[in-house]
Amino acid sequence: MFATILSLFLRRLLTAIPTLFVVSGLLFIVLRLLPVDPAAMSLPPNATLDEIAAMRTAMGLDKPLPVQFLIWLGQILSGDFGTSIQFRLPVWQLISDALPATIELAFLSMIVATITGLSAGLLAFHFRDRWGEAVLDVGSVVVLSLPEFLWALLLMLIFGVWLNALPFMLRLDPGIERPVITGFLLLDTLLAGRFDAFLSALRHMILPVLALGISAAPAIMRVLRSSLLDVYQEDYIHQARLRGLPERRVLLRHGLKNAILPTLSLMGVQFGFLFGGTLLVEVIFSYPGMGNLMIDAIRNVDMPVIQIVGLTYCVMVLLISTIVDALYLVLNPKLRVR
Amino acid sequence: MTFLPIWLRNTRSIVGLSLLLIVCGAALLAPLIAPHDPNEQDLLNTLLPPVWAEGGDAVYPFGTDSLGRDILSRLLFGARVAMTVAITASFGAMLLGGILAHVAGYFGGWVDWLIGRVIDVWLSFPPVVLSLILMVGLGSGLQNVILAIILVDWTRFCRVLRAEVMIVRRRDYVAAARLLGFSHIRTIAREVLPATLPLLITLMSLEMGVAVVVEAILSFAGMSVGTNVPAWGQMISDARQDIYISPWSLLLPAFAVFITVFGFNLLGDGLRRSLDTRLTQTERA
Repeated sequence: MFATILSLFLRRLLTAIPTLFVVSGLLFIVLRLLPVDPAAMSLPPNATLDEIAAMRTAMGLDKPLPVQFLIWLGQILSGDFGTSIQFRLPVWQLISDALPATIELAFLSMIVATITGLSAGLLAFHFRDRWGEAVLDVGSVVVLSLPEFLWALLLMLIFGVWLNALPFMLRLDPGIERPVITGFLLLDTLLAGRFDAFLSALRHMILPVLALGISAAPAIMRVLRSSLLDVYQEDYIHQARLRGLPERRVLLRHGLKNAILPTLSLMGVQFGFLFGGTLLVEVIFSYPGMGNLMIDAIRNVDMPVIQIVGLTYCVMVLLISTIVDALYLVLNPKLRVR
Repeated sequence: MTFLPIWLRNTRSIVGLSLLLIVCGAALLAPLIAPHDPNEQDLLNTLLPPVWAEGGDAVYPFGTDSLGRDILSRLLFGARVAMTVAITASFGAMLLGGILAHVAGYFGGWVDWLIGRVIDVWLSFPPVVLSLILMVGLGSGLQNVILAIILVDWTRFCRVLRAEVMIVRRRDYVAAARLLGFSHIRTIAREVLPATLPLLITLMSLEMGVAVVVEAILSFAGMSVGTNVPAWGQMISDARQDIYISPWSLLLPAFAVFITVFGFNLLGDGLRRSLDTRLTQTERA
């Protein structure tokens, strides 16, 4: 079991290397189309032309593009992610501050999406061919038609502005100091025993998490329902009924257990989308994560940051799909035995 | 409903199509029916509420934004950007993704392998991130928005259609066409394409909704058509600062995005049912 999962990870790592190589090449090419001189941007505005030329040589910008790409790639591989032009800070430091925040947000949202999606899917299946199904069905189209950033704005307007019930800016109430241990705020506040800070952080996450969770749920609901419908055509369901098992047990032990696998592989894809969706939701709630970092970098044409943040998003998506495949392996007995 | 063509004999399709016809009509007739120039500023009447709310003015039926621009006119002109992007970008993505899918699925072998790897690379990007990065490289403008959406979303067509082509190509009538001496191109066009067309049409409808969302996202982030062209996403973004005073200037464009995407999704859902395409996965941005 452990060996199979390990070999899956190794195989995925081997295919991830060429993928990331191509991705970094694409990022490099696209961002080189920009009519911006990175050397001039990393110097003060009163720099002389000679200083800019010297900087160009120092940054390797006078070399042919493929060479520049290889130099950049070599730097990344040796752990040097470059320096942000606008913050004058190493990019890895910006990422190590922002990435845990985004992971927390995406992870909690995925939990919400899973719970809502699976319960709605079970309900829709339970109500099949009755009006309850139609309600859930049209409801899911409605939910799907509002992108997550509009959900974020709506929730903010209703619960933040009108009802004044929940905070919708940043991650903590003003005046609360944040303990730093792992970088994951929720975890850190718990580890430091600061429950006031933990609750404040949690309250700040409710609206962004709901916005992302709600919009990812309908896809999960639909796939679970359709795979439950498929599974119920199988003989073992009739057999379980013939054995006189109660309907609830047929659904949970025989139906759900088999229908969960296709749902799981969709959830991997969905988690990847959700990770991208955090971008605008973070901007809307001024949530200090990768999305805000990215938009900030784009507005200020901070190329080193754009490149690395883009690359980090890809690494995360590849990592998520690998983890989901590993889960698939754990849950699917057919794939375990060689 | 028997007088209608088969693909329309479905409540969802009819409701969806009607909503879209309204939006299309608004987009086409915008210069005729808009009460004001969408960029005309009336700095004495900023942040007016709509006419049905207290303090509204019938001169500005949906109120004004923070620069005193008429929201109704901006919504009508915004529909032009949304519909142009929806139609052209999804058509482009369909063309690129559809051709590659048919080539990959029909020929198989190394072509299929290569296209498959390209799709893998594309899927490792969250679509929002990829389109933002492309817009950074391309610069703002309507053509570039369309190009960015095509370059991001062709994979949606390619992935799903490729699998379908692989099934169709094994059918006897495709082999028969080859035995009759049809060329590969003629076989694909005359024998394979008619079988994959229902799926293609359904995907196209869903993709148009996605394109509207992506355009709204890009213009929300300030990376779309530029500030002098009214777009829904940009209106939403502008309205954020005045969320306490004037929630309508945020809700109205958000509703416009919703109605349009809802129309495309309903139509797509209806088509999926009446054309019986096995599209189990829900495709979205």
